[in-house]
Amino acid sequence: MNEQPQSDVSYRDSVGVVTLRGEVDIVQAHDLRERLVKAIRNEDLGLVVDLTDATYIDSVGVSLLFELAERLAERQLRLAVVLPEVGLVSRVLRIVNLKSVAEVHGTVNDAVAAIHD
Amino acid sequence: MKSRLVADRLRDLQSITDAALAYLPLETLLSELLTRVVDILGVDTAAILLLEDDDTTLVPRAAKGLEEEVERAVRIPVGRGFAGRIAATRRPVRILNLAEAQVVNPILREKGLCSLLGVPLLVEGNVVGVLHVGTLHERAFDDEDEELLQRAADRAALAISSRLTEQERGLANALQRSLMPRLPQLPAVALAGRYLPAAAARLGGDWFDAFALPDGRLALAIGDVVGRGFHAAAIMGQLRSGLRAYALGGVSPAVVLERLSSLLRQIEPGRTATLLYLVLDAHGGTLTLASAGHPPPLIQPTDGEPWYLDLPGSVPLGAARHTRYDDQDLEFAPGSTILLYTDGLVERRGEPLEAGLERLAATVAQGHEQLEHLGDALIDVLLPEGAGNDDAALLLARATPLADPLVARFPAEVESIPVMRRLLARWLDDAGATRADVDDLTLASAEAAANAIEHAYGLEPGVVELRARTERGDSVTLSIRDFGNWRAPRGVHRGRGLLLMEGLADVVEVVRSDEGTTIELSRQLGAEAA
Repeated sequence: MNEQPQSDVSYRDSVGVVTLRGEVDIVQAHDLRERLVKAIRNEDLGLVVDLTDATYIDSVGVSLLFELAERLAERQLRLAVVLPEVGLVSRVLRIVNLKSVAEVHGTVNDAVAAIHD
Repeated sequence: MKSRLVADRLRDLQSITDAALAYLPLETLLSELLTRVVDILGVDTAAILLLEDDDTTLVPRAAKGLEEEVERAVRIPVGRGFAGRIAATRRPVRILNLAEAQVVNPILREKGLCSLLGVPLLVEGNVVGVLHVGTLHERAFDDEDEELLQRAADRAALAISSRLTEQERGLANALQRSLMPRLPQLPAVALAGRYLPAAAARLGGDWFDAFALPDGRLALAIGDVVGRGFHAAAIMGQLRSGLRAYALGGVSPAVVLERLSSLLRQIEPGRTATLLYLVLDAHGGTLTLASAGHPPPLIQPTDGEPWYLDLPGSVPLGAARHTRYDDQDLEFAPGSTILLYTDGLVERRGEPLEAGLERLAATVAQGHEQLEHLGDALIDVLLPEGAGNDDAALLLARATPLADPLVARFPAEVESIPVMRRLLARWLDDAGATRADVDDLTLASAEAAANAIEHAYGLEPGVVELRARTERGDSVTLSIRDFGNWRAPRGVHRGRGLLLMEGLADVVEVVRSDEGTTIELSRQLGAEAA
């Protein structure tokens, strides 16, 4: 539970890929929100949020993803989230039904490919 | 023939230094004293310069006919020039003609002074300053002039030293109070700290600090700035702020020390300080520490003898450019105690350091249940007559076992949430929870606490209370309570908070009353994750 939140942004074939590590929660939400919003480029097809190495997400972190999905939808952009099969983060995102606003994939490659489809 | 006159003069001097001026503020006293000296000796100027705490510089404190000297705050290095030579040699100096002498202070020449006589201000054989007089015309000061001026200086020195001590004591007390941090109250750690100023009431550079990091771990520091007096104390204050700033940046103890070393070199090249800094993870039962030339901490494990940590050699902060420090990781199980101290606690004149270290270990080994009692005992045994020439500080931390039921209170702030999660995770571990139990229940509790923090209180400070208990060994009930007036959640994510709580716990109950709101979460431990 000591991980500092870390995020990287890269771009693959007109898709932004944001990797979030550590805790995505009420304490970090403000900073993360800014980084996520800045990662969206108008010329892109969509955004992938990679939560493979995220260890914790609370309702504020969840809301951040829902807000992101909404903003992307307004621009006709797609959101895909990469999740491991088990673990707290996956459990949480199942409970809140993230699938209703974003595609969920197991790897970044699958997520990027899905946005291109 | 002059003896009667001298006796009169001495009476004059005694009367002004001993009686009438005793109740005046120091500045007024010195000013009056100089007026009388000018009058009695028939000179044109008179000035008193005092030695700074660092013992290397003289600064004008009062003057007659040389007021510019005080206004411009001229700084005279000890050992150089007229006044500097008097302070360095502790002997009077006479100058017949300034034009032929070495003088640092430009004001003496600007004023057109010709002849000078100066004597040291001595307190218990130590120089505390210089008193000098001057004339615009050439005058050969004689032995009687010198003796008279020296008597005036002695009286002045006495007054200055007692006033300074008084002033220093007041400031030292204020500084000492601000130096003692308010120790944070954490559920799984007990803390106690002690600071003893040096006997001479001169300020020392010892300090300690304890504060919670944003992730709920505890930061502890103890340090010793080389040197004494206000300047050392001011440096200490800056190091303290620097430490907190770097520590909050989330870097390891070694990196914090590396940055502090650079900071110290920038604030004051040449000044050094020892420091021990550690981060204690009471949940994980570990601590990470780094030392910059500081004495090793003493560790009392849950069972067995106390032992001194074997620290690799390290240089003090500020001693070398681009210093590298090393992190050291240690087990720190519940019930363990760590003692940080400064050398003033263990050093006693005329005996080897080992004797003090042995006394320290023996006192800790007595196994005081209350950390505060151990703190008192350490002072009683190590410094039975109070601190000596050096000040002394100690800081004790003990990882305490968690109770069942557990009750803990936190400030109603977002920053409390990680702290609460860490505590609860450790308690759940002890209760036999699986990884999934710990993950789910700490998140559900964090959601409940976030609800309380965001909705129960306005801008006034509030409190969130966590209670946790095991039921029949295989299930737990957690309650998160606030004492405010609940208002309807704002925004959509709070709705998700409740959804999460319901998804992660078996039973969620929300009880609202006039006294606040309680959210109760229950779950069977060890069940298959949802």
